[in-house]
Amino acid sequence: MNHLYLKGIEKGYYHSDSDSFELNIPQLTIQEGELFALLGPSGCGKTTLLKVVAGLLEPDRGEVLLGDQTISKIPTEKRGLGMVFQQALLFPHMTVEANVAFGLKMKGISKGVRLEKAKSMLKAVGLSGFGDRFPAELSGGQQQRVSLARALVTCPQVLLLDEPFSSLDPELREEMRDLLKGLQQDYKLTTLLVTHDVNEAFVLADKIGIMKQGRIMQIDQPQILYENPNSPEIALFLGARNVIYGQLSQGVFRTGSFKLAVPGKEEFYQQSGWIVLRSENLKLCPVPASTEFSQINRDLILRGSVVKSVFSQGSYHVTVQIESQSVNLSFPADQSSKPGLGEALELTYDPQSLVFIPEY
Amino acid sequence: MWRNSKPYWLVLPTVSVIVILFFGGLLEGLAHSLGYFPAAGQLDFSARAYHKLLSSKDFWLSLWLTLRISLLATLFSGILGMGISLFFLRNQQRKSRISLWLQGLMNLPLVIPHFVGAYIIVLLFMQSGYLARILYGFGLIQQFEAFPVLTNDPRGWGIILAYTWKEAPFIALMIYPVLKNIYSNWLEVAKVYGAKPWQFFIEVVVPLLLPAWTSSCFIVFAFTFSAFEVPYLLGVTYPQMLPVLSYTLYTNGGWERMPEAMAINVVLTLITGVLGIMAYKLSRRWGMPGGRS
Repeated sequence: MNHLYLKGIEKGYYHSDSDSFELNIPQLTIQEGELFALLGPSGCGKTTLLKVVAGLLEPDRGEVLLGDQTISKIPTEKRGLGMVFQQALLFPHMTVEANVAFGLKMKGISKGVRLEKAKSMLKAVGLSGFGDRFPAELSGGQQQRVSLARALVTCPQVLLLDEPFSSLDPELREEMRDLLKGLQQDYKLTTLLVTHDVNEAFVLADKIGIMKQGRIMQIDQPQILYENPNSPEIALFLGARNVIYGQLSQGVFRTGSFKLAVPGKEEFYQQSGWIVLRSENLKLCPVPASTEFSQINRDLILRGSVVKSVFSQGSYHVTVQIESQSVNLSFPADQSSKPGLGEALELTYDPQSLVFIPEY
Repeated sequence: MWRNSKPYWLVLPTVSVIVILFFGGLLEGLAHSLGYFPAAGQLDFSARAYHKLLSSKDFWLSLWLTLRISLLATLFSGILGMGISLFFLRNQQRKSRISLWLQGLMNLPLVIPHFVGAYIIVLLFMQSGYLARILYGFGLIQQFEAFPVLTNDPRGWGIILAYTWKEAPFIALMIYPVLKNIYSNWLEVAKVYGAKPWQFFIEVVVPLLLPAWTSSCFIVFAFTFSAFEVPYLLGVTYPQMLPVLSYTLYTNGGWERMPEAMAINVVLTLITGVLGIMAYKLSRRWGMPGGRS
């Protein structure tokens, strides 16, 4: 079993009262063959945690276990891990092939065997014939492919990825994600990815842990996490644009003069909290909802006026002032002409998609 | 037009002075070595001085001594300089008073002139010097003569000591940024892939450091090979290092020995040039992409 288990990991940096940081992970399990993404903003401690797993940083307390064996006291070079860093960090004086074969050379594998393996791994990452080149002769994307090949060729027990594609341009990033996902599944690698890119985590991960200020706030499968964030910070971090604080009572959410019917949540009585109203779940009413032809439940209609309207990448991103609350929504540009400032709009929403996060 | 050529015009005065003094001096030395001495009424060119020099036992002894001293001083400074750099690197996070004090001490030779350094070596290492007195005081030697002859010795150990002490911090200063860059970029990568510290040093640090190390060692070699004041102060009268021999011939040998003195300088320049090309080729071969891996 190659599952990775972190138990009671603590690591602190104390400079001054205002400038201190503490990583605190009571427990975290990454199942064998799983791609687990640690997602969080810069400085939340995800790279620190990755380095603790790699043995590049010693935790103040806690244990790292691989299967049933603790590896906390084993030096990095003997842990048998693979790691891809933010930059490719290839050795500039070695050929591509020698770079890929470096880990095998350190294991004492004979030259013929290691170069053979390096060649086949280069083929797997789509770089056949590049073996004799030097890193400086490759593009950024190709260098990162070599870096990935270098990590995979040693058949690591766990693959660690430290924002591996953040320095690549978007198109290349997508290509690399597909490559990584394919290879990770082919080799059934237990993988720990740290990233601040929500999209990257959602595309790649089997499970995501959201990190903030040295702590993991929530762990779940991507879709479940997206649909059921347990804090307003997580909802905002995952891209929700309408996270509104107010009070929910007997199926109606109120904040100021803004009201929202929340059917199915009648059990709450005067409960403060946040409602998450996703912009993609807000829709323009096709015909005026006040007419008799409209089939929309009138309780689910919101009326307001446009205060901001922007066209971007085939969609309109609109901010509508509804009573005391401004609400953001997006819809494809072909559904309607661009809403003008001050234009009155009628919106409706799917009540099942609403998430209420109670304040405790 | 003016905009494009302006930088060149601005540096022209400085470049002119350097070119005239450096290449002019070199050409004049070459002309003198070939017997062209208008001041002495000698206007013919001949290779007589070179012939005389190359058939002289004193010259070969001096050349051997100069090469030996320069190579050993360069080697010791190179190794010590790398050691100092590694020491700085290991202590870069530590800001303890003793660590800062040690770093200051290691940088000290950089600001001390060579002849002062030579004088310090004399005071410390001569048979009646401070070190001998300390050893005598502790009863480790019974008489001052038991202390080895390290200054003004025929093998040039005093000169080697002086140059090693003076040039090691220079090499450390030259390679430290490169070393820091190597360690901050590739140490973690190498560790993750199973490299032990010595393997990292051999496989990554040495090849990447070699160009900077070779260049700085070559600068030290070229300087030591052609420097005058330290061998003059710490050397013996026979055999002399080539720069001292050249000076002696030029000042004490009369008009007829001056071409030989200049021929020695030309030989020094040629050897330095050839070794410079070799050092360049070596660093290209071992340390750069496209070289051995």
